[in-house]
Amino acid sequence: MSSLISFKAITVSLSGKSILNIDQLDVLAHQCTLLTGRNGSGKTTLFKIMAGLLKPNSAEIHYQGLEMTWKQAKPYIQKDIIYLHQQPYLFDASVADNIAYGLHRLGENKASAHKKVMQALDWADLSHLAHRPAKQLSGGEKQRVALTRARILSPRLLLLDEPTASMDTDAKQQTSLLLQRLKSEGVSIIISSHETHTVDHIADRHLLLERGRIETLERPTHSNKVTVLNTSKYST
Amino acid sequence: MNDLSQASAHAFQLLLSGNNDIWEIISLSFGVSFSAILIATPLALVIAFFLAFFSFPLRRALISLFNTFMSVPAVIIGLTLYLLLSRSGPLGDLRLLFTDKAMVIGQILLSFPLLVAMAHASFQAADRRAWETAITLGASPARAFFTLMYEVRFGLIAAVVAGFGRVVAEIGCSMMVGGNILHATRNIPTAIALETSKGEFAQGIALGMVLLVLSLSLNAGVSIFQGKGELQT
Repeated sequence: MSSLISFKAITVSLSGKSILNIDQLDVLAHQCTLLTGRNGSGKTTLFKIMAGLLKPNSAEIHYQGLEMTWKQAKPYIQKDIIYLHQQPYLFDASVADNIAYGLHRLGENKASAHKKVMQALDWADLSHLAHRPAKQLSGGEKQRVALTRARILSPRLLLLDEPTASMDTDAKQQTSLLLQRLKSEGVSIIISSHETHTVDHIADRHLLLERGRIETLERPTHSNKVTVLNTSKYST
Repeated sequence: MNDLSQASAHAFQLLLSGNNDIWEIISLSFGVSFSAILIATPLALVIAFFLAFFSFPLRRALISLFNTFMSVPAVIIGLTLYLLLSRSGPLGDLRLLFTDKAMVIGQILLSFPLLVAMAHASFQAADRRAWETAITLGASPARAFFTLMYEVRFGLIAAVVAGFGRVVAEIGCSMMVGGNILHATRNIPTAIALETSKGEFAQGIALGMVLLVLSLSLNAGVSIFQGKGELQT
């Protein structure tokens, strides 16, 4: 498997306390990785660094054949990596306008953007919600809209923070279905989740983040075997 | 009581008859205050956003400073500006004293801390996910800023309305740097003060009614606007 992007020597500390200290994290192309860890283990912080939203104390990034600092890599990673919050934020607009938000960057004209939005809504079976105010949606619908809004920008890596948390069974299934579709389209995905049973069927790898370090690598969760490596160098 | 009724009736007459002096004063008052708010608002919003979203040295000190300046009396701002703009002052060569431009500058200084403080409170209360979502979806910082402003528009509009309310009714600064000159710098508050001191209550009441109607309209407008926002969220 080829590596999509590699993060090296990620360190984050707050008031002298180390929050993250990861030697290397390789994200492999077209793979889905499940990232677990206790609350406060640094999953969200790691995701935000990877998405270019949070500046680490240090981090080196190998991407598209270039070795860069986090600051140098920021424009590239913000272009190709999309982070979704645990409870996705939808703007105070209609569902269709939310999905169209990122198309502005791509310089799409109105007609082309509208067509893409309609196709995207159809892809997610959300066409019936196109004109609904996004703030009025349920948690599961919001998550699906957020996934659709991300997909329309053709990201290379999606970072999903607890995408099925606090959802009922139906909503979990629908979200899981969209994740499967995204994976089958070749999007690399890292999912942080406590509810491993909901997403483990699409995960190729399972990482454990503990005390700011990626300490354990389990083999793909489809198997019952678990390999403990006790190292902080991984491939996802 | 009879005098008051007569004066009020006369005030209505003055307003409805399109009395030139009255409408000139109203027009100048609104022109100066709108200009001040239009100039002050963009920079105030940017500063408020930076104070709410970024961490930098002296951030807390700046927030305290703006909160403190919010309550500085208008007359103190007027006095300071008078000293700066008077012939012997450092900005005397600009010949701005006793002009409507000086009144605009004074009202900018008056409204700016209030705009920053209130907009800061709105941005502070904003959901940080809105900013992060805009950025992760590829928005430039400028576009993300406009998106965030839209998300907290009700609070920001309330800030602008409060700023306008403060400057349109202030008298201390306008009197000191404007000079209350008829057909040049006489606005509603300075005219009310002058006419009342002369015993000409009708004109004072007429102008007071304009301020009152403006205040009620602005508050009603903001309430309706905020009500619509609450329904959507």
